[in-house]
Parts: sequence; structure tokens; C-alpha cells
Amino acid sequence: MTANADRNVVDRNQDAALIERIRGGEREAFIAFYDRYSPLLFSVAARVLGERKEAEDVLQEVMLVIWNKSGDYDPQLGTLSSWAVAVTRNNALDRLRARTRRLRLIEEAAILAQDPDATSYPSANEIVHGRERAELLRDAMKELPADQRMAIELAFFTGLSQSDIATRLQQPLGTIKARIRRGMLRLRDQLGGAL
Amino acid sequence: MIDEVMQEQAAAYALGALDAEQAGAFEVSLRADPELRALVRELRSVTEALAGTAPALEPPAAAKTRLLAEIDQQLRAKAPKAAPAPPVSTPVGVRAHVPASRPANVWIPWALAAALALVSLAFLWQSAGLRSQLTAQANRINELTTSAELARAESADLRQAVAKLRASNRLANFRIALLDSLLASSPKTIAVSVWDNERQDGVFIVRNLKPLPSDKDYQLWIIDPKYPSPVDAGVFQVDDKGNVRADFRAKRPIQDANKFAVTIEQKGGSAVPNTKATVLAGS
Repeated sequence: MTANADRNVVDRNQDAALIERIRGGEREAFIAFYDRYSPLLFSVAARVLGERKEAEDVLQEVMLVIWNKSGDYDPQLGTLSSWAVAVTRNNALDRLRARTRRLRLIEEAAILAQDPDATSYPSANEIVHGRERAELLRDAMKELPADQRMAIELAFFTGLSQSDIATRLQQPLGTIKARIRRGMLRLRDQLGGAL
Repeated sequence: MIDEVMQEQAAAYALGALDAEQAGAFEVSLRADPELRALVRELRSVTEALAGTAPALEPPAAAKTRLLAEIDQQLRAKAPKAAPAPPVSTPVGVRAHVPASRPANVWIPWALAAALALVSLAFLWQSAGLRSQLTAQANRINELTTSAELARAESADLRQAVAKLRASNRLANFRIALLDSLLASSPKTIAVSVWDNERQDGVFIVRNLKPLPSDKDYQLWIIDPKYPSPVDAGVFQVDDKGNVRADFRAKRPIQDANKFAVTIEQKGGSAVPNTKATVLAGS
């Protein structure tokens, strides 16, 4: 078993213990969860929304879901953090759809201004999972064929449906579905024990 | 063995790219197929890894303070009520003074005991009331302290954000102003105005501004040295928490958005500002 896989098992065990304590209403467990995952969830919300202030509101709402509705989490369908990411992404996308396009442009400019070197910043993975694992994830993404990566990123970060992506990229729907499937399975195979 | 169609659906499901109807249909298959569940679990981890490729941002300290204040409020609401004052019984010590054998004036100690019991009852009642008042005051102080900490943290975050925005060359066309409260009674109020001079429009964000009665409006003004008086930039209302995020345009072409101000005006706004009712100003 690799060091990453070992670490992953430890992470999962810690998360399982955390969620049990959160379900029991333990404030300290909730703070531990917040400290561990808030950078990841905040980064996802900010990436989707292109704005920090509203990303804060998303983080607040998602954390309250974790606190009040942790019973909704089904461990059979993924890790605690992947559930929290899905809740965050959906909440951020709901807000994004409600906004006007013009306002979004101004706010995108604002977040760029706040992070002029955003592209050279460490990724959220690095903050949450450590540098070694983050590099593995980054490399796996880089090695993905560009058309697959683009389809996956559009689906995840913009909330476009597969049909919308097909229209935007001027490709048949079946091609987009196949790109997403191949890309996701390839990432799964490449990341292996790091997941 | 999972066929390609199901793999496609599993990948889209893990990414959140299925609509509600498609997701519902897929979940029926998911419940019946452990192999499919295992695939979704793996693909959701891929999704998490994908999410983590976003540039890392730390949420501001104010976010945690606000969240924990909410959690603490919920915990307080869920906590069992404070134990009621103990039931009034014969006060300690009174019974000990009752003689074992009753003399002729047996009513005297009983009368004294009853009087003492009444006094004790009154004292306990008053003491319970005082305790309740003290608890309420302590809770109020805690709430105010939390609120003040939150306001300080939010204000610091906003100032930091504005400083960064100003320092950046990427927003050369933007005029970013931080407006402070001019009212001693509303020190927590703060606002940011982002004005795009090229597009001649802007975004105005305000926090903790007192909601107005229905016959009044807040009105935003842009002070441009080109004009002798402030330029009307529209009216707005805040929500019940005192917050608003509004797009605005000026009624006249702006050359230099030197300063911004907010006044309280009659419903619909005024042509000239009521400067005595200025609540926010800044540059």
C-alpha cells in the first residue's frame, strides 16, 4: 500500500469519527471539520461564483447543512468530503444562475484583482491533502486530453448540462457523454490509491 | 459488469450533471446495484479531486465567527430550560424550632413559621425574578459581544479587500470606495461601491444599515467635481438584516467618481440630497 493510500485510509477513518460526533451535536467535532475542509469548500464556491463574499455565504449555508442535516450523508455513495463538495457546488450553482451576467463580470474582475497571481497559488487540494497528493492530482488533470478535461470542468464548475456543453463546444451529445465518461474513468485509474 | 451507458450516467451523476429527473431514475438503479454504487463512490472521489484544483482560498476569520455564533445560538435554543426555582417548602430551620410537645399558645410558633414561610416565599420569588433578569442580561451581553466581534471582523475583511482591489492594476477602470457610517447609533454599518467608469455603472453593497419605513428610501449619490451638486445614482432599500447588493447607474455622465454618499429621502428619491440626513459617505 502506498503512503498516499495509507493516508487516505486514515483520512476516511477520521472523517467517519467526525461525522458521528457531529451527528451527536459535538461542537468541537464541527470546528475540526470546519478547520479541515473550509478552505476546500470556500475555494470551490469562489471558483464557481467568481466572488468571495457570496462564497462566504455559500460556505455558511453548507456548514449549517453539515451541522443540521448530517443524517442526509450516505457513506455508501462517497466520502464525507465528496458529499460536502457536492452540496457546496450545487449551492453555488443555484446562486450563480440567479445572478445577472453583468454583475458576474464585475465580480469576476474583483476576485481577479484580489488574487492577481491566482494561477500560481497552491490548489485547494494542497491545503487540504498536502503537497504530494495535490501534485499527483494536478498531474493527473494535466495528462487528461484537453477535450475531456474541458467537458468535465464545464460540467462541474459551470453547472452546464451535457446538452448545453454539446451546444457550446459544437459537438454531438454522444461525444460529450463519452468524453466525460472516459475522462472520469481515466482520472479514477490514474489517481488510484490517492483517492 | 457495468455497461458504457451506465458508466456515462454514473460519471454525469458524480459530477452533478444529470437533471433532477435523470438523477432520480439513476438513483433507482443505484439502490439495486452494489457494483454501480462502488463506481459512483470512486467517481465522487474524482469529483472531489477535481474540486480541489480550484485556486486555494482561505475563508476570512469573520466567516467562522459568524458560523459559530449561529451554531451556539442553535445549541442554546436546544438546551433544556434552566431548572425552575425549587418548590417552596418549609424553610430550613423553621421546623427545628417547633417544640415536640405543644404548649398552650401553640399557634404562636406556627404563626411565626407561616410568616417566615411567606417572607421566604417572597424572597425566593424575587430572587428567581432577579436570576432570570441576570440570565437575560448575560445572554444579551454575550449576543452583543458576538455581534461586535463579527462587525469588527467583517469590517476588517472589507477594508482588506478594498485595499487589495485598490492596489491592483487590473481594475484601472474601476473606482472602488469604502463608505463609513456617519451615524453614532449605527457604527456597524459599512458599504462598498464599485464604479466602472467606462461602462458608467456600478455595484453597491451595504451591510447592517437600518431598514427604513415604507415612505422613505435610501438614495445613493456620486460626487463628481464636474458638477456643482451630487449626482443622483438611484434609490434602494435594505433587507430586514440591513443588507443589500444593488446595481446602479448615475443620472448624468460621470467623469470622476470622487466620492459616494447615501442619504435618507422621501420614497422615490429627490433631485437634490438632503445633506442633513446623510448616513454613509466615503471615497
